Amino acid sequence: MAQIEIRDLGIDYRKPKSNEVFSAVDSVALSVEKGEFVTIVGSSGCGKSTLLMAVAGLVSLTRGSIEIDGKQVTGPGPDRAVVFQEASLLPWRSVRGNVKFGLEMQRWNGGDLNERAMQMIRLVGLGRFSDYHPHQLSGGMRQRVNIARALAVDPEVLLMDEPFGALDAQTREIMGAELLRIWERAKKTALFVTHDIDEAIFLADKIVVMGRNPGHIKEVIKVDLPRPRNEAILDSDAFHELRKRLRAHLAEDMSSMQLVQEVA
Amino acid sequence: MIAELFYRRQALVLGTLSMIGIVVFWQIAVDTGFINPFFISTPSQVAAEFMAQFEDGSVATNVAATLYCFVWSLGLAAVVGIVLGMLAGWFADVEAALEPFIWFKYSAPTVAFYPLFVAWLGYGTPTIIAIAFLFALTPIYANTLSGIKNTDRDLARAARSFGARPLDIFLRVALPGSVPVMMAGLRLGVGRALTGVVVAELFGANAGLGYAITYYGQLMQTTKMMVSIVIVVVLGVLLTQILSFLESKTDSWRVDSNR
Ligand SMILES: Nc1ncnc2c1ncn2[C@@H]1O[C@H](COP(=O)(O)OP(=O)(O)OP(=O)(O)O)[C@@H](O)[C@H]1O
Ligand SMILES: [Mg+2]
Repeated sequence: MAQIEIRDLGIDYRKPKSNEVFSAVDSVALSVEKGEFVTIVGSSGCGKSTLLMAVAGLVSLTRGSIEIDGKQVTGPGPDRAVVFQEASLLPWRSVRGNVKFGLEMQRWNGGDLNERAMQMIRLVGLGRFSDYHPHQLSGGMRQRVNIARALAVDPEVLLMDEPFGALDAQTREIMGAELLRIWERAKKTALFVTHDIDEAIFLADKIVVMGRNPGHIKEVIKVDLPRPRNEAILDSDAFHELRKRLRAHLAEDMSSMQLVQEVA
Repeated sequence: MIAELFYRRQALVLGTLSMIGIVVFWQIAVDTGFINPFFISTPSQVAAEFMAQFEDGSVATNVAATLYCFVWSLGLAAVVGIVLGMLAGWFADVEAALEPFIWFKYSAPTVAFYPLFVAWLGYGTPTIIAIAFLFALTPIYANTLSGIKNTDRDLARAARSFGARPLDIFLRVALPGSVPVMMAGLRLGVGRALTGVVVAELFGANAGLGYAITYYGQLMQTTKMMVSIVIVVVLGVLLTQILSFLESKTDSWRVDSNR
């Protein structure tokens, strides 16, 4: 049985200042195996974050269901941890304090909190910065803290919403490779939202391509590139092939977007 | 960093210079007969009178009386303002229920309540404390309220994603995030409490700086009166500076803070 089972998912938002509803995600079905790395791509506003937040238990479902290990998702749980798009760190806490935060909220009792936090901070390569405060870190470092905070609670499923969205291409590539290294060791199931086509391919076992109006899944593409992966893979023929396919998908979405704008 | 230090030192020097300039100007203006000393005295006379009042113990008596009322009113305002502010910031219903009182307080001058307090509490310390309490309450309440109410939604959501309960979010996200704003409210409250005490003392008291100001004012003894005025000003600056310092300690994590 798949670890994450999404069936006929629909999420409506109420439009501001009216009773009209707006369907952000509709008829989404997806299953994710244990240990699988799934990336989600699609144009802006197609419901990627909404889908991820639904799996996190942070938005309520209008239709359908989400199961994790056979249990219905009704709210956040210790089996999942989220890495948000904005680093969302507590500015008054140090790196260590922030990594401990998730553990504290979950009332973790698997030993010394400080030790556990330090272990995670070292894992993401910030050992020397454990006493720094978020405003003393670069954007990339903050995202690493964010990842360490999520890994610390030892979730079954790691949910990441464009964690590298605010970084430059170079840093992004390095962080992606580092994330893979961590993931290969930790063996978590991962859902990863991104705008970056190369990133989506590089990380994924399978890529979920979403379309808009309302948000739906257009295609699920298997990525059979060998692991462990490194930058060399970016130049392989298989990679080029996947890149072309994804580009075509997103270009199609862009032209339909323009059409909508012209009509509107 | 060095440039900043230099700038701050420069600001301090300029501020001090302009203060000294005013005092010198004051003295010269009176010495040259430009201003009648009857209205404003002179710095040298005020200094001499200060020493006299210091030695006969009346400075200590008045400062003690004023500080006593100040500490009580500020303490009460801090407790009540922070507790109510936290409740109103967290529960929209409490905020709505308290709203009319706040409007009332903003639009009606607090001193207008003075006769009412006299009727209830009599002339003297309790009435002074009550008036100063009302003076100090609003900024402390309002700042606490806005601090809690404007809790960063992203942080609250991140906390919830780790299974935080509402009380966790209040204690670990909303409250620590509000400390700097609350400290700013307290700093404003300090100035307001001191003003409240002195104003209430002007109307009726047996001791205190405000009392000394009216007392000598009615006797037309400008120099003696100026001594208490100067002490009030110095006290106000000192207390506010202490609070500013504490405030800067609590918000060092703020990205926009350069302290
Ligand atoms: N809280 C909300 N209330 C109302 N509408 C919302 C809310 N959150 C999202 N939406 C709408 O739902 C749609 C999907 O939003 P979502 O954030 O999931 O998109 P996304 O694919 O993550 O976009 P991006 O790539 O820009 O982050 C958008 O049209 C957005 O306006
Ligand atoms: Mg998004």
